[in-house]
Amino acid sequence: MISISPKALAPGSDTSIEKKLDLSNLTPEQIALDINKLNLFYGKKQALNDITMSIPKGQVTAFIGPSGCGKSTLLRSINRMNDLVDNCHISGEINLHGNNIYDKHVDVAELRRKVGMVFQRPNPFPKTIYENVVYGLRIMGENNRRRLDEAAEQSLRSAALWNEVKDRLHESALGLSGGQQQRLVIARAIAIQPEVLLLDEPTSALDPISTLTIEELINDLKKQFTVVIVTHNMQQAARVSDQTAFMYMGDLIEYSDTNTLFTTPLKKKTEDYITGRYG
Amino acid sequence: MNKWFKSGSPWIWLSAGGVSISLISVLGLLWLIASRGLSYFWPSELYQFDLTDEHGTKSVVIGEIYDREQIPVSQLAHLNLALDPKQEILERLLIKTGNRELVSLDFRWLLSHNIQKTQTPKDLVVVERRTNGNFYGYIESVVVDGKKVASNQLAELLTRVDNFQEQIDDLQKSDIGAINYQLERLRLKTRKYQLQDKLTPELQAQIDSEIATLNQDYAKLEQELMGYREEISRDHIVMRAMDGQLVTINFESILKVTFNNQLSIVDKTALFFSHIGSFLIEDPREANTEGGVFPAIFGTVLMVLLMTVIVSPFGVIAAIYLHEYAGKNAFTKLLRIAVINLAGVPSIVYGVFGLGFFVYMVGGSLDQLFYSENLPSPTFGTPGVLWSALTLAILTLPVVIVSTEEGLSRIPSAMRHGSLALGATKAETLWRIILPIASPAIMTGIILAIARAAGEVAPLMLVGVVKMAPNLPLDGNFPFLHLDRKFMHLGFHIYDVGFQSPNVEAARPLVYATALLLVSIIVALNMTAVSIRNKLRERYKMLEH
Repeated sequence: MISISPKALAPGSDTSIEKKLDLSNLTPEQIALDINKLNLFYGKKQALNDITMSIPKGQVTAFIGPSGCGKSTLLRSINRMNDLVDNCHISGEINLHGNNIYDKHVDVAELRRKVGMVFQRPNPFPKTIYENVVYGLRIMGENNRRRLDEAAEQSLRSAALWNEVKDRLHESALGLSGGQQQRLVIARAIAIQPEVLLLDEPTSALDPISTLTIEELINDLKKQFTVVIVTHNMQQAARVSDQTAFMYMGDLIEYSDTNTLFTTPLKKKTEDYITGRYG
Repeated sequence: MNKWFKSGSPWIWLSAGGVSISLISVLGLLWLIASRGLSYFWPSELYQFDLTDEHGTKSVVIGEIYDREQIPVSQLAHLNLALDPKQEILERLLIKTGNRELVSLDFRWLLSHNIQKTQTPKDLVVVERRTNGNFYGYIESVVVDGKKVASNQLAELLTRVDNFQEQIDDLQKSDIGAINYQLERLRLKTRKYQLQDKLTPELQAQIDSEIATLNQDYAKLEQELMGYREEISRDHIVMRAMDGQLVTINFESILKVTFNNQLSIVDKTALFFSHIGSFLIEDPREANTEGGVFPAIFGTVLMVLLMTVIVSPFGVIAAIYLHEYAGKNAFTKLLRIAVINLAGVPSIVYGVFGLGFFVYMVGGSLDQLFYSENLPSPTFGTPGVLWSALTLAILTLPVVIVSTEEGLSRIPSAMRHGSLALGATKAETLWRIILPIASPAIMTGIILAIARAAGEVAPLMLVGVVKMAPNLPLDGNFPFLHLDRKFMHLGFHIYDVGFQSPNVEAARPLVYATALLLVSIIVALNMTAVSIRNKLRERYKMLEH
């Protein structure tokens, strides 16, 4: 049996232990997202079963679980990227500021500005680095050169990329390395100041060193944003997250603070998974 | 053997063979039309043949050798030639003898067996003329204002005539052309007022006075023109033809006098390029069998550009709808199949459609609405360059749609998702991300469309191409671009010169030359499009996922 010491690698882990939250009893101010009885179907196949959970503000929440467990699907429901999938039906609610994002009159584009997302593979646009970062702002109608410059610098600094690219902002983003591209994509997502940042296995296509850089970055990001991360890598979940949700076959099996989940899991399935018996 | 099959080399050989066959046929085609076409411009030797026929009659033939042929003696049995019975093959020469006013045929065949003597006299001359084709012979005398002068003044006299000719062309094309155009507009204006019952006597008087001024100007210009004409027709040369007849050729009709046999290789090369130059920039003469093809070049390029401007937005918009917005159901599939099948419809069918729909329906209605003063003579209700461009745009639409769709479906969904996740709407994503990335594919569609449209002739014969267009669709009179005008087209020019001309033999090299030109123009248009596409590709090259 392998035992994982969850916070051994995470910098600043001691502070997160201090403000341990009672996840089933959060005050409305502490909640960023409130998921309530969410069911999701791809055609006739049910992919998410009655998920109910609250994601706290200003913290990093990780979704873990074996392939096909629905963790990415759940993440994509939060900014309605599942709308792009044919035959996808959803029942239940996800509340952002007490408003259900699946309401008929919700502007999806507006929602996605508040809930940004970074994908598994870095997907910079075939434009310059600068244009990539300010893309979201341009979409929002910002054309003031000075403000765009400021936002670009600030986002690139937040994404720990500024020093590497400041001399070649107007070169193609496709010339960057994979890790740099992923940080560029993060910079692009935070340039429009979202409230929630969804990260869908952000390091799975990267080498270990780039992974470490991104993990450090995630720790900085939670000061400004609520971060939700899906990961295959349990050590990564242990290193970067404050809360962890374990999912299996479309069910939310266990959801608690990361420390508890990895050291004293309540459910047998969770224990089997984190000790490597399946997945 | 089995091992050889397994190694895969048969496939390599097979595919390499396929490539070589295609390459060889393309190069062979180009070589054929290039060699035949370019030889048209090379100043050839002028020959004098002394002949003796079967009855012992002697004669002289002067001209250029056009072709050589080996023919079996049996074919010539009716001539009762006194030949060595063992001889089976005879050679005969096709000679261009010109001198149409003396002999109605430009060409004649000579049996090399009858030729007693072949020579290339230095003082033999070919005179290119505005009418009646070339004249071959010797200069007997040069007559200036009724007095004989030395023949070395010829060059000087020709330059003088050329200068006058230029002034005449200027006068006719711009000044007199503009007056005619204004007169026509005034006539239409009067007619318009008449139709609207607004023609008051004052208006009538005003228009009449304008017409009178224009007519005065016209008379002045005409006088000037007559003056030039007189100057030009002052002098003439007397030529001695091959049978000794003397022929007077007025300077008015002379284009160029060349002593081909005195030319050095450098002179010939210079002349070769000057011939190519005048072929490119001059108007055709003598039912298109002589002169240049400039109006046809201009018409082809203008029509193709118009077509491109029309087809690109429509094709791209249709592809975007089919790929991005249309539901993924049986109807869309059917629609897509229909679009692809449109590419297989014979082009003449598009011509018939263009004539019925664009020319008669749309054009006819436009005339009724906006050009009623001109009726019964139609403005847009007749074949023209706009309708040709529209017809070809419909013909090439499927090509653009298919390749644009192809390009759209090759874009990784990560690009779309990346943009959508940043709060862009679908339309914004399309406009800012998808279309730029798909632009090389769109350019590919446009390249294919240009290639197809520039080579198409059949539908154009119904919707706007003519043998001889009096004006270019672009000129100095407002609104400058006259989309209602008929135009000339290189493809049709080839057909017309090669198969409809009164002098097929003379026109044959012209057919090759025109074909070479058409190919070069299409290649040039395509190269432009390809280089634009390569720039776009470089700019939007995809991640190696």
